Amino acid sequence: MIKDFTKGLWKENPVLVLLLGMCPTLAVTSNAKNGLSMGLATTAVLLCSNVAISTIRNIVPKKIRIPVYIVVIATFVTVVDMLMQAYAPPSVYNSLGIFIPLIVVNCIVLGRAEAFASKNNPFRSALDGLGMGCGFSLALMTLGGTREFLSSGSFFEVKVITPWTVDFMLPSGAPGAFIILGSFLALMNWMNIRRAVKKGEIYIPPEGVDCRHCRLCDFGNSSQDEQQ
Amino acid sequence: MKLRDTENTLVLGLFLGVIGAISALILAYFADITKAPIKKMEMQKTNNALKEVLPDFDNNPGDNKIAFGNVVFYGALKDGKLVGIAGQAITKKGYSGNVEAMVGIELNGKIRTVAVMDKKSADGKVEKENISAVIITKQSETPGLGTVVCERKKVVTIFNMFDKDQNASSLAPNPILDQFAGQTAGKTPWKVEKDGGTVKYITGATISSRAVTGVVYDIDHTFMDNRQEIVNKLSGNAPQNRGDGK
Repeated sequence: MIKDFTKGLWKENPVLVLLLGMCPTLAVTSNAKNGLSMGLATTAVLLCSNVAISTIRNIVPKKIRIPVYIVVIATFVTVVDMLMQAYAPPSVYNSLGIFIPLIVVNCIVLGRAEAFASKNNPFRSALDGLGMGCGFSLALMTLGGTREFLSSGSFFEVKVITPWTVDFMLPSGAPGAFIILGSFLALMNWMNIRRAVKKGEIYIPPEGVDCRHCRLCDFGNSSQDEQQ
Repeated sequence: MKLRDTENTLVLGLFLGVIGAISALILAYFADITKAPIKKMEMQKTNNALKEVLPDFDNNPGDNKIAFGNVVFYGALKDGKLVGIAGQAITKKGYSGNVEAMVGIELNGKIRTVAVMDKKSADGKVEKENISAVIITKQSETPGLGTVVCERKKVVTIFNMFDKDQNASSLAPNPILDQFAGQTAGKTPWKVEKDGGTVKYITGATISSRAVTGVVYDIDHTFMDNRQEIVNKLSGNAPQNRGDGK
């Protein structure tokens, strides 16, 4: 059961393994603070929507499950948006701005609802949502921290290298986001493969993250049918 | 038949309707309880900006305001006397969207100088640098280019992160915004050097520099054009219940 929580941190990390939610990942990680706040907002939504969807999973008609999930998710996102507007520091809300409402269409949230919460009980779904959210936050914070450090020598808006006065714009801009995310993915795969080789095995991506196990689009459905 | 496998369109529609109604209820509840805090937050934002550009005051400038054209003027009173005015305006000429500026103006129309700081130039000479009461309260310019024109960011380093607010209220210097310190808007609009004017700008952020220059000129120019009226109106609003010997 504890695995439901920990798998989101590394083995099935939503950003670095599942490659979900790339829009906020690339857009808001220009510094560590934004990455962390976006991650926390998404975690709150994931936790609530996972629990709610798992609670109603047995009465939702199969035909309209996606619209129902979207309504549930959109409700929680709007609530989080209003709460942040009211209580979060203005600088955080200003810089995250439009990305908060966009959590609605973040694939992680709908993806976990469909792949996990619709099949498991509320408690396990809560653990799964929390784990995925923490994995997402950690990945975003690390990515943001790296970009912030490479562009201005600071971390969480605290200058670590004081003589660094002129910002280097590549890492904090969009191209840097792609370059650094790519390096992260390469590093992650390299580490996983090396670990597998040491054990004398071949590295296989975790089960359930490929198209066969997701019912969201037709491609997944058809390949599932073929298997059966 | 189980609800889960139902194909009846009417039932499906009804189900979605019920879900929608429940979520509407939840949203209405949260909209209601966050309404007041959101409003308070917005007001606090304006007040913080006002505190930065105005001299010491003891009234609530957020309530003591008057609009002229697209510029809103706030009056700061101390002991019932008008001590300073802040003008706020939005320009649409930014590189990406609106730029909103707040400018502290003295009663004679000069843009206020908040502080004088020592600045070491590259060859080791110490120069005096005037920090102007010009801040950009809203912008969405390109990070790293346009934001350099707009932002007054205090640098927090590992060496000073713990000595808290020795001068928390003072503004961080910004070479573009500080040019306006002590200036008064005349008849001819200010222009950046590229357009044949005297205002320095940042290469790569000409449009942002133009927008900022334009909106600061507009605020001060509107003030100069209606100076008497603004000063009269804003000092007339002084609270009268003061002055009992204090």
